[in-house]
Amino acid sequence: MWLPLLGLIFGVVLGILTDIQIPSVYENYLSIAVLAALDTMVGGIRAQLQQVYDDKVFISGFFFNIILAAGLAFLGVHIGVDLYLAAIFAFGVRLFQNIAVIRRLILTKFENRKLNK
Amino acid sequence: MTKKMYRNITMISFIIGFMLAVQYNTVQSPAERNTVDIWEIRQQLSVEQERHSELLTAISDLSDTVSKYEDAEFNNPEILLEQTVDNLKESAGILPTRGPGLTLTIEPSQELMNFGYEIKPVSPELLIRLINDLYRSNAQAIEIDDKRLTYNTAIRDINGKTTVNSEPIEDTNIEINVITPTYEQAEKLKNHLLASSFQDEFYIDNLVLTIHEAEKNVRINSVVTVQKSNYLSEK
Repeated sequence: MWLPLLGLIFGVVLGILTDIQIPSVYENYLSIAVLAALDTMVGGIRAQLQQVYDDKVFISGFFFNIILAAGLAFLGVHIGVDLYLAAIFAFGVRLFQNIAVIRRLILTKFENRKLNK
Repeated sequence: MTKKMYRNITMISFIIGFMLAVQYNTVQSPAERNTVDIWEIRQQLSVEQERHSELLTAISDLSDTVSKYEDAEFNNPEILLEQTVDNLKESAGILPTRGPGLTLTIEPSQELMNFGYEIKPVSPELLIRLINDLYRSNAQAIEIDDKRLTYNTAIRDINGKTTVNSEPIEDTNIEINVITPTYEQAEKLKNHLLASSFQDEFYIDNLVLTIHEAEKNVRINSVVTVQKSNYLSEK
């Protein structure tokens, strides 16, 4: 349960300690990639709670979403339309939905536990 | 199954954390590249040092004056005060001054006149540029066409005439006298002007700027009219 959180903290610490900076031109891509990754992870947690988790879907979804989002942003930059907004919108909405589902699932779990007691 | 899942989620969250940290680094401190190389820093340093030594000279001059005041306190303070007043008057342009310096002349270009080109009077912009450059090269006093430049001199265009101190100067044949602190600086100024683009810039306006040899003794007259207000003065 705490392993993913530990991974997150470890990643943040490593990132800050190494002090890696990317050129500001690619900032947009990275922020979209972060959003896509967050979406995938939350999606994975939800799938696990609903017992429909599949490894292949999870891993492929992670990379595919990031590539798609970055590609969309890249295309948007080159044709002069802010296409990255589409990715942000899609991921944002999905993130909220997934988190809402997770919240409900956890709530039902707690209630069930209470009833069993 | 769950073990594998945990491992995957941990890996992904690690990647997310790393990306977040990189993004944070980038947003917090945009890479400020130090593009000043050592040579520029050295040049800045030398400019500052020059200013430093100028300030030191000014301080020692002033402390000289102070010690003179203190010495003469019981003897004759009047002479010293008069000296100070004279110095101030000289730098304000009320008294004529002399010293090593340089003479520049602006004339219409003869060959262009022969071809029938119209010679326009020297423009205030060009004159101001020249004067600013002279002052930057340590000119102490400047006179344009017998009109002494003071702290409140305006060089401007009034009804199509270039004026200095609100008095029109001649359209062409203009003599500019410059006084510098030392003869060496006058020579330096001459070389600086020869190396600068001023002669070309005057030639664009069909004028020829001649830079004469540095002289040991250049005289600059005082401001002709000292404006005085008699308002509220005692009769």
